[in-house]
Amino acid sequence: MTAITTQHIAAAVSGAKAAMGDLEQVLNEADSKLGDGDTGSMLTRLIDRLAEADTATEPSLSDTFSKLARAAMGATGSSLGTLFATGLMTASRMTKGREAIPWSELAPLLSASRDAMMARGGAKLGDKTVLDAIHEVALAVEGLNDPVAVAQSAKQAGQVVLERFFNESCKVGRARMFADKSVGMHDPGMLAFVKLVDAVAR
Amino acid sequence: MKKLLNAPTAYVDEVLDGLTLAHPSLVRDGTAGRVIRRASGIRSGKVGIASGGGSGHLPLFTGYVGSGLIDTCAIGNVFEGPNIDSCMDAIRLANGGRGVLRLYGNYGGDRMNFDMAGEFLEEERIHTTTVLGTDDIASGTQDERQKRRGVAGLIYAYKAAGAKAEEGADLDEVTRVARKAVDATRTIGVALAPCRVPTADRPTFSLAGDEIEMGMGIHGEPGIWRDKLKPADAVVDEMIDRLLADQPVTTGRISILVNGLGATPLEELFILYRRAAERLRQAKIEIVQPLVGNYVTSMEMAGASISLHAIDDELATLLAAPADCPFWRVP
Repeated sequence: MTAITTQHIAAAVSGAKAAMGDLEQVLNEADSKLGDGDTGSMLTRLIDRLAEADTATEPSLSDTFSKLARAAMGATGSSLGTLFATGLMTASRMTKGREAIPWSELAPLLSASRDAMMARGGAKLGDKTVLDAIHEVALAVEGLNDPVAVAQSAKQAGQVVLERFFNESCKVGRARMFADKSVGMHDPGMLAFVKLVDAVAR
Repeated sequence: MKKLLNAPTAYVDEVLDGLTLAHPSLVRDGTAGRVIRRASGIRSGKVGIASGGGSGHLPLFTGYVGSGLIDTCAIGNVFEGPNIDSCMDAIRLANGGRGVLRLYGNYGGDRMNFDMAGEFLEEERIHTTTVLGTDDIASGTQDERQKRRGVAGLIYAYKAAGAKAEEGADLDEVTRVARKAVDATRTIGVALAPCRVPTADRPTFSLAGDEIEMGMGIHGEPGIWRDKLKPADAVVDEMIDRLLADQPVTTGRISILVNGLGATPLEELFILYRRAAERLRQAKIEIVQPLVGNYVTSMEMAGASISLHAIDDELATLLAAPADCPFWRVP
């Protein structure tokens, strides 16, 4: 298929849900080094809610994203979860009235979501957050219209961004106060996004 | 690390059930039952105060719903901010027709959700203002005080704003005193042992049996330094020195809160208070209404925090005004 449809979104949610079984404690552990140790559990709950949201009968991509955004907002009030919901709301606005979009529109969708998340949360590119991972993936899939190529490029970009920021320090949130200690660690939000991209692109 | 619970995912809701059963002055409300409000409801014509935050810190946040304090509280999962629906519910339920102060700790999730709730509620013509608790001196430098996080000192802002609202003051005045109380308060904590989020399979951090960590956040976020355990007096001395260096007490009067993080016995808190009082006496600072106990916890985390709330005549009057909630009563 050369277009992204609601079926693709449902499959992505299923793939993410399946992946969280192994990822939950991995992400909790990553978060415990820089935060409060609950990123994996929060995302598990959030993705469970997404999976429970019945999007099969939604008439458009916009309605699907909107329903998922509402499910995400109901699942958590955490920073990462709220940013995630903000991204879904943006995707809903960008796809208003459309049943499908070409794969080549994934990049602008990711970029717009990234910008909305920056505006809501206040972090910038380079701060070592989930935003850097979204940015890198958006750049990598720009202009691609073949789903296999999109998946491959997204996965590669995820690995690149993880490696690039591993030895950087956190510049936002509480972790900025012990910036040196954050060198040699993955940001849990960035790690979560990359691992979920891996799972969904599989 | 053992816990008495039924299911990790039921933790928050079962806590709220028990809390409201034990304290009939509090009731659960909101679409998901994640708002605690006064059973008596909001008094018409009074400025409302809505707060919120993650679970795992009782008595904060929900335990301070009561007269002379806050009116409603949106509550999230353990160490997660409340979701947007709960924030909207908390604001609506606190609306007595004269506006609502949103008063909560400076955390990303809480801020985003209360902000979005306020944006949605503009259509309902509920006038809101916001004051964020930013008392944790270990979470930001002096130059970026607005980025600091809110910890135990938030209860002083609850007290000042709550008292002002009970007087019948308007929203601007209630907001002003809340901000003044935040500006006058500084906190630093020290952790001796970690806690565990119910859904996680290991503690939030590890600390050797003979180590402590100065400046640790109330979710286990790393602090300023980690070293061998020291005598209580030495720990208190450093905490008081850091607090006074951050904000010299020009009024000559303070209230002090020596707060337990969950697993530290009251006996040890009084050992800390003994030294803190001595240090403040040496600095010729008068202590008014000291508080010693578990006011803001991190589940089973061991350790303590000290908050200094520098008061002038106005804040002293508000601090002494009557208040009544399950965990703090001023007759």
